[in-house]
Amino acid sequence: MVYLDYAATSPLLPEVITAMHEAEQKFFANASALHTPGHLAMNKIEETRKLLAQLINANPDEIIFTSGASEANNTVIRTFAGHKIYTSPLEHHSIDEAARVLGGNKKPALYSYMFANNEIGEILSIENIIKKAHKNGDYIHSDLTQVLGKLPINIKALDLDYATFSAHKIGGPVGVGALFIKDGAPFKSLIIGGNQEGKRRGTTYNTAGIIGFGAALKYAIKHKTWDIYDAKIRALRDGLAKRILEEIPGSSLNTDITPGKSLPNILNASFQAAEGESIQLYLDAEGIIVSTGSACASGDIKPSHVLMAKTGDAEVAHSSIRFSFGLDNTEEDVKKVMQVLPGIINRLQKISTIERES
Amino acid sequence: MNEGQDWIYSDIVKDHFLNPRNFLFGDESKFDFDAVGVVGNPICGDQMKMYIKVKNGKIEDIRWKTYGCASAIASTSALSELAKGKTLDEVVNISAKDIDDYLGNLPKHKFHCSVLGHQALADAVKKYRAE
Repeated sequence: MVYLDYAATSPLLPEVITAMHEAEQKFFANASALHTPGHLAMNKIEETRKLLAQLINANPDEIIFTSGASEANNTVIRTFAGHKIYTSPLEHHSIDEAARVLGGNKKPALYSYMFANNEIGEILSIENIIKKAHKNGDYIHSDLTQVLGKLPINIKALDLDYATFSAHKIGGPVGVGALFIKDGAPFKSLIIGGNQEGKRRGTTYNTAGIIGFGAALKYAIKHKTWDIYDAKIRALRDGLAKRILEEIPGSSLNTDITPGKSLPNILNASFQAAEGESIQLYLDAEGIIVSTGSACASGDIKPSHVLMAKTGDAEVAHSSIRFSFGLDNTEEDVKKVMQVLPGIINRLQKISTIERES
Repeated sequence: MNEGQDWIYSDIVKDHFLNPRNFLFGDESKFDFDAVGVVGNPICGDQMKMYIKVKNGKIEDIRWKTYGCASAIASTSALSELAKGKTLDEVVNISAKDIDDYLGNLPKHKFHCSVLGHQALADAVKKYRAE
């Protein structure tokens, strides 16, 4: 299998599996308890908190663990319920739908602008938004889910008030995320009832999951994964982009692969006259795993809002495929994709009702 | 969806998707048809065309083109099999349910958006009769 859907989720790193197995045997006690096993479990949780704080340049006290990025995003939006909420057009649904439901007109406002997008990998220029927000006494949140481990992160230098992270995009487990809340920034708990996380989030600690997140963070720090993404993975991504454009008529890129414009591991491309779900499933039948912005694949009737916002063209969105690379991908994987992709696209174009332009 | 199986659609849908029957590959002038019908819109993600060759009031031969998802391709392929050899009166009565039954039930959310080919076929018959 050639797995190219790392931006959706990544397999557990071997280090994470080992750490979580150990955690389930040794650190099963309720981490809120005063007894020794509970205390030892809490120590491990605090280790992960320190690792994340170190990686993003924050204070450990400014981080709470959540069930994932969607909860972290929802928590921030709910904190600003009734307030004016501005979002970028590329936000995850856990931001834009929550903002639509909960936003109002009160001041101060919240700006929620992701640092980099999950579907096309675009890096948004948010520096001016951050300055603008703070100049007006407003607050700024950024979803950094896709950025963790892919680019160096310095929360203090960015001057963010809130930031969202997720474990399962970096080889950690699904069901663990984190929210950075700048010391002194407004905060309302999403889960009320319980003293956990300094009374900021109720619920028994997910000790094994948080320990797994810690192992993934340790891996990222030890291997400086952002350097590997910048060199090896970028070369694979750019190589695939080049071959797609050269070898597949009717192809176009939805990702700007200029350095600094996109995450180095994401490539979104569209194939004129060929529909995304069909491309995805023909690739699947060849053991190549990708995702699509086509409506069909999502169980929705509308194609990806991100591609619609970027291209304004439903056909381009329906015909889009996202290839997202992880640390395990190789040159061989790109070769395998290009052994079958041109044939799949050609066949779909030839049976399509739409004429491919040149 | 397709619980308990290792693929998202049923085996028969998979077969019609991976090995579609009666499709028109490339230029439509390659098939000597009497009428063509169309349904859908690429903006919505699915469009189908049915090309029919009629002899003695029956569908002697049939081809199709589809822009759409896997179930759109599979359902058009299935329809072409259902229609071949039938009288024009019979084929205009083929329903989405007939196609769905033939394919062993598509996922519900797919049924409305991708089982459209029978409308293109009825359109082709209407055009043939108007000639």
